[in-house]
Amino acid sequence: MKRAKIVQKRFLGTSFVELWLEEKDIAYLASPGQFVMVTIGSSYDPFLKRPFGILACQENQFGLLFEIVGRGTQILSQLEIGDQVDLLGPLGNGFSLNPKEALLVGGGRGLVPLYFLAQIFTNKKVPFQFFFGIRSQEEKVLIEYLSQLPIPLVISCQEELSGFYCGTVLDAFEDWRQHHSLSKSTPKIYACGPQGMFQTLAKMDDIIPNQIEVSLESRMGCGYGVCLSCAVKKKGLPGYFHVCKDGPVFRLGEIEL
Amino acid sequence: MNLQVHLGNLTLSNPIILASGTAGYGREIAPYLDLDRVGALTLKGLSSNPWVGNPPPRIHETYAGIMNSIGLENKGFDRFFREDLPFLENFQTKIIANIWGKTIEEYSDIAKKMNGLERIDAIEVNVSCPNIEQGGESFSSNGQVLCQLIQNLRQKIQKPLIVKLGPNTDDLNNVLQFMEREGVDILSITNTFPALAIDVENQSYIFSRKTAGLSGPAIKPLALKLVYDVIQRTRLPIIGMGGIMKTADALEYFLIGAQAVALGSVNLIDPSAAVQIIEGIKAYLVQKNIFDINDLIGKVR
Repeated sequence: MKRAKIVQKRFLGTSFVELWLEEKDIAYLASPGQFVMVTIGSSYDPFLKRPFGILACQENQFGLLFEIVGRGTQILSQLEIGDQVDLLGPLGNGFSLNPKEALLVGGGRGLVPLYFLAQIFTNKKVPFQFFFGIRSQEEKVLIEYLSQLPIPLVISCQEELSGFYCGTVLDAFEDWRQHHSLSKSTPKIYACGPQGMFQTLAKMDDIIPNQIEVSLESRMGCGYGVCLSCAVKKKGLPGYFHVCKDGPVFRLGEIEL
Repeated sequence: MNLQVHLGNLTLSNPIILASGTAGYGREIAPYLDLDRVGALTLKGLSSNPWVGNPPPRIHETYAGIMNSIGLENKGFDRFFREDLPFLENFQTKIIANIWGKTIEEYSDIAKKMNGLERIDAIEVNVSCPNIEQGGESFSSNGQVLCQLIQNLRQKIQKPLIVKLGPNTDDLNNVLQFMEREGVDILSITNTFPALAIDVENQSYIFSRKTAGLSGPAIKPLALKLVYDVIQRTRLPIIGMGGIMKTADALEYFLIGAQAVALGSVNLIDPSAAVQIIEGIKAYLVQKNIFDINDLIGKVR
């Protein structure tokens, strides 16, 4: 198990927290789509570690950005700079990193692994377009966060929000595709967001689900492949994948959502 | 200092075992833990054929514990043989195969296969799984069926035979006597506790099978009481398990008379916990001026 010190902490609005942790192995090794399992508190309650996607890495530090959704994230949000956490990682497989061209599609806190991916693509000079959508104005902080990156962005909000596309991220994505000819090369699609977004994406015209990489969120027990809790159904085959070990990145066509 | 313990004809270099289903087939936990440091590794439960297990959700956190409903998912004997057994050849540590079936025949089948593997040092039988020939009730919920199963397996298994009894074993006194007579070598006490959780928001059960198995520190005093109860009634050596998180928890089991202990849920949150617990036991023995762990076992009676 590794131990990391919190070196930066910032609330984004009231429900999102950005943490930067100092742990050089994770910072050097982590790849977009991978995650860490973080111990919550020092008692056995809550009992389990929590999985968090990695937001970015810089020298000997790595970032997390999470939404406060329950007891575990609530407790984690109360830690302060200088506090230490125990963790495992980096875990999981991560996205493929060598497309000729890419389209990134993210919804809500699905931003996290794609933000990391966008940074890597920028460094590697992979041409890409980032589509990002939020449900309501409360998540506007995520747009502000993402807008710090000098990358080509299309942003949508399901509520009316001045200056942005009104609709889901997939509405915006579809609109964009209709106005851009993609005939000469098919860019690789990377997606992370709520389950409904993946389901809609899989049914869109001219989409080949097996060519789309999606990063899944799941409740996990261990994060390293022993408890088999994070099961996701295989498409067209009996049995399950395990998000922690076989994923969290899957081809959209190989999983049943 | 001596940490070696003898459980019948199974000798362990130390009394700390990794419990079935919390360490995979060794390969999964090996990056975090030197397998040769533990007394034994119990493999994730295997059936003869692959088994897909239950639909999600499979896990639910409770106060200081977890409920699981994995449904015995496993890759089956053949894939274990190909993918995992060669890896285990790299270690000296004792390997305990955990087996299960839905019928006595299925149990026999996997028992024979495991019995034929040189690398397997002992076979632990999970008797808490549903018996499809008896309407899906657990094998351990009917003392007669359980005895029939054990008798059958004893004939197939020449290696040390461990029976893992859950908290709700039917007719415990007779079952224990029967196991002694039939030559069962060791008992594992206990398995997860049947438990229930409700999704208040959606007004439904959390798990598709309604009940699930509770483990973790929440069950430790209950599991310890079960070990205590069984020790009063049998001379078979016992592997105690249930909610062990740290050295003191393991010591409680030894003091009450368990010859070894198994670590389960703790492996999920700290895969290297076993080594810390072994070091903690050594420190305790030094502090108490005890040379041999066997002098500690059963000191509180």
